[in-house]
Amino acid sequence: MRSDAYTIVFTTIITVILGLGLSATADSLRERQILNEELDIKKNILSVLGYKQDTPWTNEEVQSLYDSNINEIRIDEVGLVLDEVDKSGNFAYTIYQSSENNKVTGYAIPIAGKGLWGTMYGYFAIEPDAETVKGITFYKHKETPGLGAEVDKDWFKNNFIGKKLTDKNGELVSIEVVKGYVSKTDPEALHKVDGISGATITGTGLTTFLKSDLEKYEPYFARVRRINQIESL
Amino acid sequence: MNLFSSKNKKIVKDPLMGENPISIHVLGICSALAITTKIDTAVVMTIAVVGVLSISNVVISLLRNNIPNKVRIIIQMSVVASLVIITDQVLKAYMYDMSKLLGVFLALIITNCIVLGRAEAFAMQNSPSKALLDGMGNGLGYGAILIAVAFFRELFGFGSIYGAQVFSDQIYMGGYENNGLMILSPGAFFILGLIVWAHRAYTNVIDKD
Repeated sequence: MRSDAYTIVFTTIITVILGLGLSATADSLRERQILNEELDIKKNILSVLGYKQDTPWTNEEVQSLYDSNINEIRIDEVGLVLDEVDKSGNFAYTIYQSSENNKVTGYAIPIAGKGLWGTMYGYFAIEPDAETVKGITFYKHKETPGLGAEVDKDWFKNNFIGKKLTDKNGELVSIEVVKGYVSKTDPEALHKVDGISGATITGTGLTTFLKSDLEKYEPYFARVRRINQIESL
Repeated sequence: MNLFSSKNKKIVKDPLMGENPISIHVLGICSALAITTKIDTAVVMTIAVVGVLSISNVVISLLRNNIPNKVRIIIQMSVVASLVIITDQVLKAYMYDMSKLLGVFLALIITNCIVLGRAEAFAMQNSPSKALLDGMGNGLGYGAILIAVAFFRELFGFGSIYGAQVFSDQIYMGGYENNGLMILSPGAFFILGLIVWAHRAYTNVIDKD
């Protein structure tokens, strides 16, 4: 039997060594990890905005494509664009605007909300007309594989493309994930997508948070629609 | 000491067959159920467990004569936990996509009874070289069952093997459907139960009580 003093000293030494090892590892890898996370987010924004490539993107490709095509716009609650230098700490929403040759090709907004097992995180992309859906993507969720996790499969995501966010009067109606299939005769079919069988809660969750997230950005997009209207006259 | 002596071979071979941690000792069931929907996650999990188990066994074995008996479990736990966190951090930095796929289950290697079990049952009594072999053997024995379960779940749940589609479109057109049960936890219970049964029947293991 060893003395209590020995036990305390031994435990302390081990704890200090392990603690130092852990902090050294975490500290030396932190930069790379943050870079990975940022690149992952950028990759998701690019893909939701319709950028595609047959081979997987390298980190440098993601970075250069993002830097040259994506413009981050910060807006406040009423949809006013905040100055880039205004870092007063006030709450702001970010819109990722893609453009080619000085022509806007789309907008992406972050979306997040409750699914069945946890929060789902993704991006939602809108065409330059600010009323047609360009795409949707999820980069983090805890939904059931084969059921709710189908949200990040192409068949489900492609259902959103081309749907309309607004009604005839230009009012926001969002997109609803229905139970089962969208009937072709449904007059509202333009605002609905097929649901996933066995994942009703995931679908209703998505419907709810998509609508509330779109409402946050609506002041900005309503203005984009008005400007488009005036320009087309 | 001869590394390839028959005694050392037995240390590696036993956990693969007659002393398998999952099918015979029924340890590490949680992760065997959770990350076996696809083979690729099972493979990375296996590599991670083999690594953590080998290193933790060696570290514990090196310290075995100095660890005070009354705090030995806490010391073992701290060593295992630190190794798992380092593995997790390294994956996040160098294999970001894979670490996203494994998610929380990589961190849960800490709670895998195999790791603590081998530290307590083997590394505390044996030399570092033997402990290393034991860690590798048990990690591989764990991985073998994991990959076997994942093979059946991926084949019947997704119709693919290691990501490659094996059932052609014609089979699906002829009315075949992927079995959704295989992707859910009950599917893992059924497959694992069958594998444990088959393995125990083959190795002739009968619970003594």
